[in-house]
Amino acid sequence: MSDSPRTTDMTDSVDARGVDRAQIRRMLAWSPAERLQWLQEFMESVTEIRRLNEDRKVC
Amino acid sequence: MKTAKFAELLRALAAEEVDAILVGMLSGVLQGAPVTTGDVDIVHRRTPENVERLLRVLKRVNAIYRHDPRRLQPTASHLLGAGHQLLETDFGDLDCLGEIDGGRTFEDLEPHSLRLSLGGGLHVRVLGLRELVEVKRRAGRPKDLAALPVLQATIDEAKARK
Repeated sequence: MSDSPRTTDMTDSVDARGVDRAQIRRMLAWSPAERLQWLQEFMESVTEIRRLNEDRKVC
Repeated sequence: MKTAKFAELLRALAAEEVDAILVGMLSGVLQGAPVTTGDVDIVHRRTPENVERLLRVLKRVNAIYRHDPRRLQPTASHLLGAGHQLLETDFGDLDCLGEIDGGRTFEDLEPHSLRLSLGGGLHVRVLGLRELVEVKRRAGRPKDLAALPVLQATIDEAKARK
């Protein structure tokens, strides 16, 4: 048995336009409140990453 | 950069019973689209009574016009008009839009909206995904067009679940 990690066949979840259908299905399984929480956490992560990099020079 | 506190803004609007429809990408997220946004966009009912309620909320969250160094506060006359009031608040950016999509008001959009529960007695009215797609298609800006495949796929997946 190979030690290599199992890879995922993206063709099952990503459609011809590049949209990740699996991600949509996961979102649809959540309540609106859970979807809002997902966005809140995402935006807080973005803010934190920006804060951690605010002293870095932009080329 | 201030992180938006979406739930707090929505709760503040609901607490004053402001008649408004969420019309931006936050509307898409609440309906299951895995998209992101940093602000809250609403189309509010432009009656004096509702504008008064909205103003109370805006005062409470310290709303001022963003991109304006004078730190002006919105007034009733601003909110009664058809224009777009782009504000920053204690809970992040809030856009109060008198009309969208070539002159469509709260009353025009309401039949295409739905009410969603966010738990704890909090309800919000959002523009339905199909209408959101059409509005963004007509807006035609690159950022709107870029979101269309995800929004359309969300409609398709939601339909398949029924």
